[in-house]
Amino acid sequence: MTQPSWKISRRTCLQGLGVSLALPLLDGMVHGDQKARQRPRRMCSVYFPFGVAMPRDGSPDRQWGWFPTGIGADYQLTNPLQPLASLRKQVTVLGGLSHPKGRSMGGHDTGDTFLTGAKLSGSSFANTVSIDQYAAAFVGDQTRFPSLTLSSDGGVGEPTRSTTLSFTRSGRPVPALASPQQIFDRLFGKGDGSTESQRRRLEQSGSLLDLLLENSRSLKRRLGTRDKKKLDDYLSSVRAVEKRVQQSQRWLSIPKPKVDPKSVDLDVDQKAPREYLRSMYDLLFLAFQTDTTRLATYMIGQVAGATTIANAFPACIGLKGNWHGLAHGAGKAGGAERLGKFDQFLAEQFGYFLQRLHETSEGDGTLLDHTLVLYGSSNSRTHQNRNYPLVLAGGTGLGLKHGHYRRYGNDVPLSNLFVTMLDRIGVPVKGFADSTAEMSDLLA
Amino acid sequence: MDGSSITTRINLRKSIDSMDRRTTQHGSLLFRAPPFRSLAGMMGFACWVIVGVAGSGMAEEPKPVTFARDIKPVLKRLCVGCHGPRKQSGKLRLDTLDPDFVKGTGAETWHDVLNKLNLGEMPPKKAKQPTTAERRMLVGWVTRELQRAERAARSTGGRVVMRRLTRYEYNNTLRDLLGVQLDFAENLPPESVSADGFQNNGSVLGISPIQIEYYLKAARMALGKAIVTGPRPEVFKHHAIKSEKIRRVKGPVSSRLGPDSRFIVRLMKFPREGEVVVRVRAHAVVPPGAGVPRMRIGMGVRADVRAPEKTLAEVDVANSAPRTFTFRGRIESFPLPGHNPKYPGLQVTVYNAYEDGRPKTRKKKKKKKKKAPVEPDPTQPLLVIESVDFEGPVFDAWPPATHTRIFFPTSGQPTERQYAGKILSRFMTRAYRRPVGEDELAGSLALYDKLRTGSPSFEIAIRDVLSLVLVSPEFLYLVEPRNGSASRQPLDNFELASRLSYFLWSTMPDDRLFQLAGKGRLTDQAVRQAQVRRMLKDPRARQFANHFADQWLDLPALDRVAVNPEFHPTFDDRLKRDMRDETRHFFAEILNADLSALNLLKSDFAMLNRRLAGHYGVPLPSGGDMQRVKLSEGSHRGGLLTQGSFLLSNSNGEDSHPIKRAVWVLDRLLDDPPAPPPPDVPDLDPSRPNLAKLSLKQQLEVHRKKEACNNCHRQIDPWGVVFENFDAVGRWRTVVTGPRKKKRGRQPVDATVTLPDGRQVDGVTGIQDYLVEFQSRQFARALVKRLLTYSLGRSLEYSDRRLVDSLTRGFIESDYRLGRLIVAIADSRLFLTK
Repeated sequence: MTQPSWKISRRTCLQGLGVSLALPLLDGMVHGDQKARQRPRRMCSVYFPFGVAMPRDGSPDRQWGWFPTGIGADYQLTNPLQPLASLRKQVTVLGGLSHPKGRSMGGHDTGDTFLTGAKLSGSSFANTVSIDQYAAAFVGDQTRFPSLTLSSDGGVGEPTRSTTLSFTRSGRPVPALASPQQIFDRLFGKGDGSTESQRRRLEQSGSLLDLLLENSRSLKRRLGTRDKKKLDDYLSSVRAVEKRVQQSQRWLSIPKPKVDPKSVDLDVDQKAPREYLRSMYDLLFLAFQTDTTRLATYMIGQVAGATTIANAFPACIGLKGNWHGLAHGAGKAGGAERLGKFDQFLAEQFGYFLQRLHETSEGDGTLLDHTLVLYGSSNSRTHQNRNYPLVLAGGTGLGLKHGHYRRYGNDVPLSNLFVTMLDRIGVPVKGFADSTAEMSDLLA
Repeated sequence: MDGSSITTRINLRKSIDSMDRRTTQHGSLLFRAPPFRSLAGMMGFACWVIVGVAGSGMAEEPKPVTFARDIKPVLKRLCVGCHGPRKQSGKLRLDTLDPDFVKGTGAETWHDVLNKLNLGEMPPKKAKQPTTAERRMLVGWVTRELQRAERAARSTGGRVVMRRLTRYEYNNTLRDLLGVQLDFAENLPPESVSADGFQNNGSVLGISPIQIEYYLKAARMALGKAIVTGPRPEVFKHHAIKSEKIRRVKGPVSSRLGPDSRFIVRLMKFPREGEVVVRVRAHAVVPPGAGVPRMRIGMGVRADVRAPEKTLAEVDVANSAPRTFTFRGRIESFPLPGHNPKYPGLQVTVYNAYEDGRPKTRKKKKKKKKKAPVEPDPTQPLLVIESVDFEGPVFDAWPPATHTRIFFPTSGQPTERQYAGKILSRFMTRAYRRPVGEDELAGSLALYDKLRTGSPSFEIAIRDVLSLVLVSPEFLYLVEPRNGSASRQPLDNFELASRLSYFLWSTMPDDRLFQLAGKGRLTDQAVRQAQVRRMLKDPRARQFANHFADQWLDLPALDRVAVNPEFHPTFDDRLKRDMRDETRHFFAEILNADLSALNLLKSDFAMLNRRLAGHYGVPLPSGGDMQRVKLSEGSHRGGLLTQGSFLLSNSNGEDSHPIKRAVWVLDRLLDDPPAPPPPDVPDLDPSRPNLAKLSLKQQLEVHRKKEACNNCHRQIDPWGVVFENFDAVGRWRTVVTGPRKKKRGRQPVDATVTLPDGRQVDGVTGIQDYLVEFQSRQFARALVKRLLTYSLGRSLEYSDRRLVDSLTRGFIESDYRLGRLIVAIADSRLFLTK
């Protein structure tokens, strides 16, 4: 797409991308140089389960190992991450990092804590806030949706087998959306009719929720302790909706961005992983491009082979075996290649997402240079909660410096990376979970 | 097994409850396929710690192990040297580690100790080793204590926690409350599952802001359908006696439908909202030896290549004289053309969905001949269509009953506000499933007052207030308020009505139950028992059979296995739905026909349709509906253990998975699941030559030679190996084969095992006979526990064991009749109190 001047009329057609935007009168169109400072800063985290192929250095199938060979700026990508080759200046491969608390947890249990760094223990498996929800508390009110939570399985799953990466400040799972059509409707679909009736509806919702809270007080008095706790959960959810209603009232005068539904293949499901993943990435891309949200998470699969729909992804694209099985077999003869091919498939889709962000101009740069994207797993080899395979991409406009393969020792908790990420997107942060420092080596 | 031995083991078994959900998940993981079956791949994840002995049985009855007497001396002798007062290797000190897992803080550390023991890493090789018996005792004790701690932390004090309606309960309730048939729950997030496998567990059912939003949306949508505001809508009618001929559509169109041909009706004018009716006048022509044709009605958009449509109905047509079939549906549930589409209009298509029952290999599609033959194959049954009628929207009156049920006619001349009060009072009483208080009514009226001024009409103001009712906790939850006292309190009549109806119907009480509750009659035992029997006969009891079977037997697991077509070229993915339906129908048949529940273990009949019977290789029933089929001796079928729902979902899509099958049997049928595998299990020694050449049973034997593995697997493996005559997709086999193209590696099936109690059992028939003869009591108890869990909506606790005992006794005395058990549960103290 050729880049028109940013100072264009309110209505612009970005048809090369299949997107036509009815841009709200936001900062973008107004003041040329203020805008550079105000460009949205975004953060997206993508997770995949079961770990990656990791044959030993020097072994014949080393090329199918996920981690690059060499180190620093002179590293060489192996086959699985080859799809990211053209984005070398936009990505850093990170090795050796993990959440210290996750190291002593079960091999299947760390998907939940990928973005939280918590220790799930005892019977309650209480989690803590994830980075996206932490950030949403500070920057979430700048967009129509404070954050976007996606997963291939949808819903919340159950503790240690959560099907979402996002957890609220009280450690409760945020349900993830899984259907492209549903996500599209939520982000870009029409509300119910005209603005006026929407306003009426929101006002109604306001009074209705008010009354709900009020009515529930007398109910609460008649309940036992455990029931009271359940009612509290309910009431805090109602309050959250009420807050969203208030927020929506502000957004009422601004129409939702117009996005051509045909620009995304919404009629796909998880039986066709390539198309499905692309659609999910397309939706993430559109959500960012239209500034509908600035924070997103996507869990490609969770770590329970029995329940995650993603377990069948390799078989669905014609590879042999189910994902969990491939991961377990990665140490056997030929196993690295079998898993590596699937790792490569995932990287290909991820690369597609980065490429779209990279090719889309925004202000004097690209969408990608103001977007931090974290990609990886909480297992290295199957069920090993150490040495997470990670890629950090984007954000060169936010001070990031890429082009390296960096390895860290056990003494560096993954949360240090989170501190740096949060700081770069403008979220005030002193520390996150068990962080000990920032990761200043990632900065230019 | 005598009664006392059961009791001594309850504690043990109960403690295992908590683990079963997670074990099942581990169990599903798949092992690598090629070159042939490799056990090694399976071991990495499917290593189980057995602590229970049920299945394993009677041979060794463990004495309760105590810390002070049994564990401490062993630790002192073997461990404390390095992990004690003098040295704390690895910063671990065992002599001061608190053995109370519940109150102490040492549970996590004990967990690490367990893992080291399981892996055989501790004590170190050169140090003094525990005997096999000691190792088993240590592992067993730590595992049991961990589970006890987990259970204690999850206890709800033997009470049901205020529970939210599940997705399906919500959907059913809204449908029955408003009389509108739509999927209201489709946008709600999927439900989590409790440790014991159930969705309706109050502690597990959560809520989130996004759910509240969807509830509000669904409520508004549903009320928008029930309450009408405009004039009587135009009714569209269409009558067709000949199929449309459409060039783009592949395959023949005709009035005499052989399989794969169709009858197409095109409607240029049709409603976009409301209930529609399709009437088809048709009969069957059945050649000798064939089954009856199956009529499927699809409705949807006209499009150029593949028309998006949804199925309105699917029925077998057996009548040889013409008959009219009537189908109803809400037009909104079907894909409708957008505005100004390329191919305008709605398409209703009648198919002959007959399956001859012969498994077909998936072939690459041959190029279709341009002209398909007009005369269908004479060996196949014909569906002859005389006419197709479409009408919609249909309603008995205007405004329709859904509307007048809310805006009911009143006598006298009430003011608008008085009328609003009456409407709200009546609606809230049904929605909250109990009489409403003055203050509650006043709250809703206050909202009405507030909204009425800004509303274009009275109806709209009422509609908006009713949406408040439908997102209230009193509607969304089963609320059972308590007075101040902490002791158990009896349920009131209305609470009882709800417990009964959500147990047996998964929806709100009907008018009869409300009436009886209003008169205070449900606390009368005879009345209540009569109601339970009435409810079980009601078609709504299908909800119970379906949801209970789904959750008890984990039928959704079928969708989590991808069948590899290279291994199973004839497998048709629709068989998965058939398999689920088979098990649901099988359970329902045993319930409805009042048969012994031991039929679940072994039966001389099966519930099959043509496609599934063809897959299993048993004589074919006539059509596509599930029907009772008498099984002959030697058919290898009959009972849950021969059904695809168990066999396929506990396979890896390529070959059988004996360990998953074993865990399923131990967990779901005998209530004695093995504990989850340790976190990092070493592979089998790969240097051992020719491992892959061994039969699976031999591979498992090699695996058990490792002491760390043997601890658990000696008690697991036999329970799965007995099913080796069934391949991954549940077909009978006598040799194990690899992928279709690879001929090597054929090995005869060896399904003879020695169970942990020393008994030899041969194959599926052997294990079925064994279960019926020696484990029927254990099975009865397992079933009682699952059923009680489902009925209460909470996990069972230690204090519930007496009730479980007495229900189990009664169940066995009634000759394993489910209906009697359900009546007994509904009569039990736990069910009647809160």
